[in-house]
Amino acid sequence: MTTFREQLKGRFAVLGVVVLVVLGALAVRLWSMQVIASTQYTAAAQNNSTREVSLPAPRGRILDVKGRPLVTNRPVMNVTAPSSISQDATLVARLSAAIDVPVDEIQSKLASFKQERLAPHVLRTDVPLAVAAYLSEHSADFPGVEVQEAAVRDYPFGSLAGHVLGYTGEISEEQLAATSTVNASMGDIVGKTGVEAFYDKVLQGEKGFRRFEVDNQGRVRSVLAEGAPIAGKDVRLTINKDVQAVAEKALADALVEAHRQGFTKARAGAAVVLDVKTGAVVAMASVPTYDPAVFLGGVSPAEWKSLNDPASNYPLNNRAIMAAYPPASTFKSIDAMAGLQAKLITAGTRFTCTGRWSGFGSQWAKWCWLHSGHGSLNLTGAIEASCDSYFYNVGKLFYEAPGEQLQAFARSIGLGAPLGIDLPGEVAGRVPDAAWKKAFNQNYPEYQQWVPGDTVNMAIGQGDLLVTPLQLASAYATLGNGGTVIQPHVLDAVLASDGTASIVATTTVISDAKLSPANVATLRSALVGVTTVGTAKSVFRGFPVSVAGKTGTAQVNGKDDLAVFACYAPAVAPRYAIAVIIEQGGHGGSVSGPAARQIMSYLFGKKYTAIHTTDVSR
Amino acid sequence: MRPRRPLLRIVSDRLHIGLVSAVVILLAYGSLMVWTATVTMVAHTALVQRQFIGIALGCLFLIGAWLIDYTQYKSWTGPLMILLCVLILSPRIPGLGGTASGATSWLEVFGVRLFQPSEPAKLLFIVVLAAVVAEFGGKIERRPDVLKVAGYVALPFVLILLQPDLGTGLVFIMIALGMLLVGGLKGRWFAVAAVLIVVFAVAGLTTPLLQQYQKDRLLVFVDPSRDPKGAGYNLAQSKIAIGSGGMTGTGLAAGTQSRFNFIPEPHTDFIFSVLGEQFGFVGAIMLLALYLALLSATLSISASSRDLYGALIAAGLLSMWLFQILENIGMTIGIMPVTGIPLPFMSYGSSFMVTNLAGVGILLSIWSRRYGTGL
Repeated sequence: MTTFREQLKGRFAVLGVVVLVVLGALAVRLWSMQVIASTQYTAAAQNNSTREVSLPAPRGRILDVKGRPLVTNRPVMNVTAPSSISQDATLVARLSAAIDVPVDEIQSKLASFKQERLAPHVLRTDVPLAVAAYLSEHSADFPGVEVQEAAVRDYPFGSLAGHVLGYTGEISEEQLAATSTVNASMGDIVGKTGVEAFYDKVLQGEKGFRRFEVDNQGRVRSVLAEGAPIAGKDVRLTINKDVQAVAEKALADALVEAHRQGFTKARAGAAVVLDVKTGAVVAMASVPTYDPAVFLGGVSPAEWKSLNDPASNYPLNNRAIMAAYPPASTFKSIDAMAGLQAKLITAGTRFTCTGRWSGFGSQWAKWCWLHSGHGSLNLTGAIEASCDSYFYNVGKLFYEAPGEQLQAFARSIGLGAPLGIDLPGEVAGRVPDAAWKKAFNQNYPEYQQWVPGDTVNMAIGQGDLLVTPLQLASAYATLGNGGTVIQPHVLDAVLASDGTASIVATTTVISDAKLSPANVATLRSALVGVTTVGTAKSVFRGFPVSVAGKTGTAQVNGKDDLAVFACYAPAVAPRYAIAVIIEQGGHGGSVSGPAARQIMSYLFGKKYTAIHTTDVSR
Repeated sequence: MRPRRPLLRIVSDRLHIGLVSAVVILLAYGSLMVWTATVTMVAHTALVQRQFIGIALGCLFLIGAWLIDYTQYKSWTGPLMILLCVLILSPRIPGLGGTASGATSWLEVFGVRLFQPSEPAKLLFIVVLAAVVAEFGGKIERRPDVLKVAGYVALPFVLILLQPDLGTGLVFIMIALGMLLVGGLKGRWFAVAAVLIVVFAVAGLTTPLLQQYQKDRLLVFVDPSRDPKGAGYNLAQSKIAIGSGGMTGTGLAAGTQSRFNFIPEPHTDFIFSVLGEQFGFVGAIMLLALYLALLSATLSISASSRDLYGALIAAGLLSMWLFQILENIGMTIGIMPVTGIPLPFMSYGSSFMVTNLAGVGILLSIWSRRYGTGL
């Protein structure tokens, strides 16, 4: 007995040591996990079981100047599903049939990471009630699929002012990276263009949140904390819905008129109506246009392709601020004012037009659009007839004068730089000068030199000079108001939740060209002459308000001529400045002029009947 | 024959206080854990009731095994070996078998689940192997002896692998190693056993001997990122639960991992994860201390056994518990592969509970008879 106990003693000791080693190892490991690394495991446990979803804030509305809503919100029903259903091909197919969304599109939406982790994927927004009811009744056939209420943008007037209003969409990665909004996240709906984008901060409000505990299936077990969203503020624009509608109609009619006159390639154009005193944009239209509603719930790839197809003439572009055109003869007013201000010419300065101008020698001769010649003209006559030769001479005077005074004057009335309108995407246009030409042609040394012909071409609004329709309207407002360049704006006021204006847009003066009143009067009478006895007389025949305007027809390489018209009215103490540009429209006097009259008829409460006229000037 | 004494005296004299206290506290601790682990389940009440029924049934077996003189088993070694093999094979016998969750095999009669035969098989294996090893009187040196012992180990082991039940197979191996250590197997034979284990492991992973899910579990142990939502998921969630318990835990029935079903099988295989989360390091160390008490009591019973046979049985039980503790807790903290081995006296499951309590009964039988064959 004793011997066997003795024999086993060492073996029991080994067993005892094994026991201690095993339990000790477990204890050490537990110490490292539960005491040393506890915080990181606690964080992991929290991450496991805590979820936060944001509660979207209702987006502010966009109203016209009279408080009529242009963009509101509309409750819709969205069909959502978790990404996990993507593996169930039969369910996806069944769902595809039920909600009328192709299987491929459902799968790509389910695969999208562009949203919060817990938020179910929106497969279709704004489903008809019948579809929502069907899904609810057959919920057993559609596990995971839910019909959720949401709000989307609603456009009571369809595409009206679509370019000014802009559209909304899911925040892009670049926007997310650039935003200063603290709790911005993937899937947020933000303004992409227009007012929606420019005043996004005001419109979007502040998101709320709900933090809750979930189990391993993601089912909510309890709500930990909640913060209510703060609604976005309403924004009131300077746009007048009715004027806007007329401006859009006028552009559409102008295209029809251009086609009637044989300019069948006319597809695009823009019109801007400014308040001369305040810089408020009363209307801003651009054709072709688009329907902002197609972006609701994500624009379909096919639709996006068509919106960006050159064949569609880029309907998303707001040509009023994003496109720059040669101003053609509408620039002659600016030219004339520049010459008067620089005292290079007076109202009485006369030049003789023979139809062919050879001021820089016969090898550089240029034609007036009227090859038979205008004869001897003073400034008023030259503007009324839109005589090229007269302004070639003015250009020559500028070329021979020291400095680049014509360019300087053009800039002083707001050309060549963005005006700073409160809309994204405004381009600068271009006032060409010697330095610009050198830089522009840096790879073509033979074209770097500023030559006399450059100034002369610029003097008739051709060559490298480019303006946006907004700049053109603003320049005419400046010519009419004595030289003040006022920053154009579309915001009238930001409204507080009680509807009162909390932030009111103020008139911002960019600069003052300090035009002499005598020169302003001289140009005014010349421009009134255009609409009474000059190139636009048939357009404005019988119009009871005196209009100071100018036609323009720009030659564009490889395209039909650009039809331009710019004006301010009434001629004395002007209230509105208007610019209308129709791409490939033919002639300013017969296509863009009537559009301007159509708009003005509404502005001044006059009846408008369609005008069919001709214009051979430039 | 000694004069009769009052039953109370008999009990107090024959009772190993350390063992019984450790087991009683473990049972209380385990019941609390089963209660809290199932608290969010629909079947909560039923599961807790069944656990108590298991304990009650186990106590009957404990008393029975205590009353029976363990040396009686020696003469039944042959029939017990046959019974052992039949038990292991029983889930495969048509009309008797049933399976649940992978490899959990049940003995079923007319569709009524009786028990998991692999559990009592462990106990039978210990009793049979103890008799075989005891024959050699504490020295296993000669090759025929080694082969005989190896045969008694290999037969049930291979049968259990064929079930397939890798976890229980490993328990059998560990039981055998512990008993052979006490039984006097020479060192070089342990080396041979180690080589065999390695060969088996390699063969298991490279041949169709193991089921794919078993290979996955083993490979996930090596590299948990292999399958973060499958086999690795359980391990990750278990570690998160235990680690987040911290020093003192989240408190009874608290803790998001256990309440929100992140822990798989929280009342059976992963009950330690629940304990770790809710009672923290303090609670875990308390459990380890209880196990230390249980195992040292078992060791002391083994050392004070009247004969080598009893010492071997006790050593087998010690090895079984120690390995199951190591494997189960180790699995929940990521230092052992995930297998379906429950935690002694803690995990829910009546077959397991009854087996362990019957083992305690045998230990008490060895203890009570350390001076003579009478109770």
